[in-house]
Amino acid sequence: MIGNDLVDLQQAGKDSNWNRKGFMEKVFTGSEQFLINSASQPAQMVWLLWSMKEAAYKIHTRDTKLRSFAPTAIQCNNLVLHENTASGEILYEAELYYTQTEINSNYIHTIAAQNLEQLQQIKVFIDHYDPSNTDYRNKNPDCVSHHGRYLALVFI
Amino acid sequence: MDKPELTSRLKAIITTYAQETDALAHLTEETDFIKDLKINSANLVDIVLDVEEEFGIEIDNDSMSRMLTVGAAIEIIEAKLAANDRE
Repeated sequence: MIGNDLVDLQQAGKDSNWNRKGFMEKVFTGSEQFLINSASQPAQMVWLLWSMKEAAYKIHTRDTKLRSFAPTAIQCNNLVLHENTASGEILYEAELYYTQTEINSNYIHTIAAQNLEQLQQIKVFIDHYDPSNTDYRNKNPDCVSHHGRYLALVFI
Repeated sequence: MDKPELTSRLKAIITTYAQETDALAHLTEETDFIKDLKINSANLVDIVLDVEEEFGIEIDNDSMSRMLTVGAAIEIIEAKLAANDRE
């Protein structure tokens, strides 16, 4: 099983104030907060870690059929950040997920899988999102994420 | 605080973030924040923070993890208010 999550940075900036008192503690572990506070671009780090958590959470809920809203229990580890990409791992309820992220000035998109081989096989399709058009469902993507201006489909 | 007052104060908070006005107009205890009201998960954090401020309570991570529906939110707020009263 695979998962993905896209954050439209413009939309996120409009909808969310992550600087709000208490927000960080509700969402990020101590070591994640350290990564954010020491990042040259803190907002980018916030949404990078957020999309890693969401992408792995999607696999986990489809696996277990259990829903829960516990962002600090979904832990980001071994993050390696380059200029336009990042890789990392997520640990959630003793399950390990591998993530790969694309970063640009418009959006952050993370894909997740339960092993590295599967992660490398994922095909990504990103387009502008049109709420009135649901044709993308006919493509039978393995996971879908849309946010703000963008739609991201992943296939295995 | 009685339940209707609690519910109306909660609804005022939810209204800020809900994308689905139909589901908001027909709010029940079963209404799901994400599935029915299309509230994004970042804004679910805002709802938890707003609830903490509005009701003067602290919502621990374990309670937050269950706060997916209006009914669950009401139950958690009631329990925390009752715990505050006992202190």
